[in-house]
Amino acid sequence: MGTRLRRAFAAALPIMLGYVSIGIPCGILESQVGMAPWMCLVMSYVYYTGAGQFMIPNLWMAGTPLLSIIASTSFVNTRQILYSAAFSPYFGNENPLLSFFFAASVTDESFGVNLDRFEHDETWDGATATMVNYLSCSSWAFSNFAGALVGEALDVPTNLAAFAMTAIFVCLLVARDFSPRVTAVVLVAGVSVYLCKMLGLGGASILVGALAGVAVGVAMRGRGDAA
Amino acid sequence: MTPMSFTDFAILLVACSATMLACRCIPLFVLKGRELSPAVTDALSLIPPAAFAALVSNDLFTPGAFAADPWGALKPVIAALLVAVVAKKSGSLVICAVTGLVAYAALLYLV
Repeated sequence: MGTRLRRAFAAALPIMLGYVSIGIPCGILESQVGMAPWMCLVMSYVYYTGAGQFMIPNLWMAGTPLLSIIASTSFVNTRQILYSAAFSPYFGNENPLLSFFFAASVTDESFGVNLDRFEHDETWDGATATMVNYLSCSSWAFSNFAGALVGEALDVPTNLAAFAMTAIFVCLLVARDFSPRVTAVVLVAGVSVYLCKMLGLGGASILVGALAGVAVGVAMRGRGDAA
Repeated sequence: MTPMSFTDFAILLVACSATMLACRCIPLFVLKGRELSPAVTDALSLIPPAAFAALVSNDLFTPGAFAADPWGALKPVIAALLVAVVAKKSGSLVICAVTGLVAYAALLYLV
């Protein structure tokens, strides 16, 4: 148990440090829409998503209806389907409860770390991977909590705090392999968002933009364009 | 802006967590020992770039902003371009977040 925890901590440490740097601004942002520190803590443990938790206060401040916030954040988080599917071969013989707790706590960052370990380390198992997830989750949750506490005392500019996540999105976007088809997907998604906002569909712009991008990518595959 | 009430918070928490949990858990349990069709896998693989592009565009570009205050609208774009260069070189989310915050703060308060 001790060895397993040490290995998990070593793997999770970079993620935990990263979550402190973006968790505090996220907590500040959440506090600015009226979320109490305890709400940030609960949301971070239960919902646990950087993108979603940055989006909620941003969309709320923009006056987006609740249903649209739920739809937009849910759509953005559908990438988790891919992550979950990718881990299925490694959990074939694991306890269902452990599999559930692992799957329920995968993020972009822990996905990368754990998948790499599963692929290259035969001794890496579901329990260690789950520890990585929950160490990271705790770092995220308490950073959010601290950010919300600070946010109540300080008036940190919202646009500056939110830019931490913009930077994360830029990093995740730039990390893609930009084939002609993916480039088209990215351009169509980005332009569609702008057009939606021009048409006054700000609340649905992310959802519609991303769907438009995926649709173009699927159509290009149908025409036989290179992936 | 209306502050978020407890009811609003509870609705958001339950609904968003439910959809998130479904996305995170169902595939792992359903796909044990199975494989998705290539077409479905391909379509799903397009979601991350499309979603991230949509999010970046939403954060950086607002209709009318460049006409109203060109320099003000350009600041986040410049900071994002700097982050993109750093992302290509480092691939680190942490370094990118810190770079983005420092660059944007410098552009907001020093330039």
